Amino acid sequence: MLKQHPTARFILQRAGWYLLTFLVAVTINFFLPRLGTSNPVDIILAKSTGGLSAQAAREKEESYLKEFGLVKLDGHGNILRDTTIRMAKVWDASKQVSVSKPDTLIKPIKASSLDQFFTYVKMSLSGDLGTSFQKYPKKVLDVIVQAVPWTIALQLPTIVFGWIVGNVLGALAAYRRGLFDRVFFPVALLVSSIPFFVFGMLLVYYFAVVLGWFPAMGGYADEIIPSFSFELFGSVAYHYVLPFFSIFLILAGGQAIGMRSMGIYELGTDYIKYAKWLGIKESRVLIYLFRNAMLPQLTGLALSLGTMIGGALITEMIFSYPGLGMAMLSAIQNNDYPMIQGVTLIITTCVLIANFTVDIMIGFLDPRVKAGLQMGGN
Amino acid sequence: MRVTKMSVLGLPVALSALLLTGCKGHRHSSGTDEFPRDQTLYLAGSQWGDPTSFNPLAESWQAAWPVGDRFNLMYEPLLSYNSLTGQVEPDLGTLVSKDNDSIVVDINPAAKWSDGKPVTSDDVKFVFDLGRRYKDAATAFAVEFISKIDVKTVDVKGAKTERLSFLVDKKGRDNPLVILDLLQAIRIVPAHVFEPLIASNNNDLGAVKKLKIDSAPVVSGPYTLAHYSNEKIVLERRDDYWGNAALHDGKLPAPKYIIHPIFKSNDAFAIALQKGDLDASQTFIPRIWQKFKDGVGTWDVAAPYYVPGAIPLLVINTTKAPLNDRNFRRAMAAAINYADIKELAVSGYANDIKSGLILPFGQEGKYFDEAEAAKHAVKPGIESAKKILADAGYKAVFKADGSLDHTTDKAGNRLPTLSIKSPAGWSDWEAMVNIAVKAMRDAGIDVREGFVDAGLYWPAKPSGDFDILMDKPAAAVTPSLPWSRFEATMSSRNWAPVGGDNKMNENQGRYNSPKSKDYNPKVDSLLKVIPITTDSVALKKAYTELNDIFLDDQPAIPLVYLPEQFYEFSTSSWTNWPTSKDPYAPPLLPWVGASTKILWQLKPVE
Repeated sequence: MLKQHPTARFILQRAGWYLLTFLVAVTINFFLPRLGTSNPVDIILAKSTGGLSAQAAREKEESYLKEFGLVKLDGHGNILRDTTIRMAKVWDASKQVSVSKPDTLIKPIKASSLDQFFTYVKMSLSGDLGTSFQKYPKKVLDVIVQAVPWTIALQLPTIVFGWIVGNVLGALAAYRRGLFDRVFFPVALLVSSIPFFVFGMLLVYYFAVVLGWFPAMGGYADEIIPSFSFELFGSVAYHYVLPFFSIFLILAGGQAIGMRSMGIYELGTDYIKYAKWLGIKESRVLIYLFRNAMLPQLTGLALSLGTMIGGALITEMIFSYPGLGMAMLSAIQNNDYPMIQGVTLIITTCVLIANFTVDIMIGFLDPRVKAGLQMGGN
Repeated sequence: MRVTKMSVLGLPVALSALLLTGCKGHRHSSGTDEFPRDQTLYLAGSQWGDPTSFNPLAESWQAAWPVGDRFNLMYEPLLSYNSLTGQVEPDLGTLVSKDNDSIVVDINPAAKWSDGKPVTSDDVKFVFDLGRRYKDAATAFAVEFISKIDVKTVDVKGAKTERLSFLVDKKGRDNPLVILDLLQAIRIVPAHVFEPLIASNNNDLGAVKKLKIDSAPVVSGPYTLAHYSNEKIVLERRDDYWGNAALHDGKLPAPKYIIHPIFKSNDAFAIALQKGDLDASQTFIPRIWQKFKDGVGTWDVAAPYYVPGAIPLLVINTTKAPLNDRNFRRAMAAAINYADIKELAVSGYANDIKSGLILPFGQEGKYFDEAEAAKHAVKPGIESAKKILADAGYKAVFKADGSLDHTTDKAGNRLPTLSIKSPAGWSDWEAMVNIAVKAMRDAGIDVREGFVDAGLYWPAKPSGDFDILMDKPAAAVTPSLPWSRFEATMSSRNWAPVGGDNKMNENQGRYNSPKSKDYNPKVDSLLKVIPITTDSVALKKAYTELNDIFLDDQPAIPLVYLPEQFYEFSTSSWTNWPTSKDPYAPPLLPWVGASTKILWQLKPVE
């Protein structure tokens, strides 16, 4: 039936693949943090049980395991236990020999990863991403909702502006060559190869510490209580400048280099030569060039837009800027399963949506794909 | 086409120009109408990450500043310990007497909750009894130490006063020292608020611990929560605080507001302090003397700049060969260049290290016997280390370029490369480990750095999953030092072998196994007897004996002395911080224990 609608068929087919990728990714995101030997309760306990007797420490551990859903429970909410008896060597001081003595171990039965997985799927489907262990009793969703606006506000403009400015400059350099290119190219190369953290720290040192023009850190001034006010908006904008440039310049430089080499490559192709030979206006040729050179850049843009939600960790750390990056880092460091799952779920979804959109867009923009569709292929 | 390009290019430039002109002259430190700079104190370093709960019944790691830990601003303890003078100072209570049977405290008759109700023995008993009622109470560990709290009413200077006797649990831990710790560590909460809360949650403490208690909390302290977000926590002064009249001659604390910004990296503290955006902090800032010109100060203007209080050390897993050989451990201790660690790793913020687990000065100095320690300590130096190794039959095999290839044992078998586990990114610890490793390798000990994520470091500690581990036991300065440092390093009280789910919350190196034939019962008996020894001569003798055993057996290697907090302040907005010239409070942020009184002494800069 879909044979008559190649475009719909193409979209549905792509969507199917993306759904499959999504399921695989979510499953991997779930099991990956659980492959290690340490569990989050061990980390919390090690920080909080100093001075406790063995018995008290065990009781505390069990209460955490129960709280975080990591043990099996009976119908009444009591922890199921497993008793093992093993022989242990003990030194008998009176006889001066080692003797074997039975040692009884009663341990709670841990919930298997598979049990946890089903709970997770059930909860996720009802929109509950669970409670963070490390930020207990905060809900994972609350952490994400509070941090994501900052992350998007920081990343979206930098990525979009960086992409546009970089590509325009790159295309210009490729087309113009000459002095412009000879100055521009090494500068872009230099800027794009500075690590984010070095560049960020240089900005802080020079513009915040030495000149004092901009604040060194934070998303807004410490003396402001957030509310919808002009004061807050002004402070946010003021605090935005350095973090923005710390990403923007490096990103634009990288994009420009990519676009420049794509442009130079396209300039040598037959269709450009043919177009020039036909005497088509220069601006028209430039459009042809730009459209074709842009395709791989577009895929790159989609990827950066998709992954941006994960946060700009380095920028957040240098500027103590609000966002999801730090939450993700500390979640990983502390094996905070629900937090890792929640954030990776959001990242996965965004990457896939962005990629899907670009896939579809390229289907319309790339004449080769379009031609293939019209011929009934995929 | 070209016009479009230029406009796109011009946009960010225009945007930044706009922001630049629009905001010029807006100095951060000028303050706002809401938080005038001369009434607002900016302090940081006690809250990392999003504040999630202000519940005083929550575990200390869950509750945000200033509710968890030993912070005195909202909820207060009965007593405060002054680590400079060694005195126990009054707070909600006043210490009356302490002996091996009980610790007696009078409740301050003036003490009141913010809702006007008096602080009574019911509140104190409620907190301490929670541990008896609920195993998951944060105060559950107190049960092992206190058998009962007796209450009677007495007349003190004409005022009816409730007198509490915390009876030492003689059958339990029999340790009055720790009870003294607990009385300044456990914050009293209003029973008349929390008891009904527990009842309305079907007596489920777990459900109550989940509550955030973040709006209009009933507190007894000088400040209360005004606002919080992921970026900061704001406290506002309570002008009707009972302690203003009872403890501070009727004065109010100088700052009306305290703002604790939440930073994400260590560098932020130094920059903010230097710019005057922060008034005090507690992070490690290298070469602090270079910041003095910017109005940054610390306890002392000359080395060591800080007051030492804790000893970071290498915990050795004594169950593993060759680490189970004390000669090998002593050789490691001999090899390390302690002067390098002091100068290079911690910017010289320490006095020269002497042997053992007792700080040779300050409150612990009276327990330290230098001559005796020198007799038992290993002779430091690379040559000394090499000699100890050779005498014990170990051989180091060096490469042609002089670097170590491997080490062999008495039988000529190649020893495995040992690793020092330490959290990645803790820069001062990393530097200590690097210096220790270099020196040990020079001496012929095959050891390497093992920097791991904090998520691997913490669980490895109690389970004994390490060769050598960086640690700082008993990091807070409390009345029970140096006993608590020895206990954390040498006690076999909760002995559990390495492996499986076994965990030890002290002596993670598994030194002195009670199940082995080499067990030295003297260690545990000294640890048991020191807390109930009152005679000062006998006490020094017991500590000396314990320190001698530590030096003989070397179950751990102390590396350097560090302050309890890296106390730093800026004088750009507030002055009169305590320093060695004016030591009116211990060098801690003004919410920890006896240092809280700093708030009443600060003066805004005109």
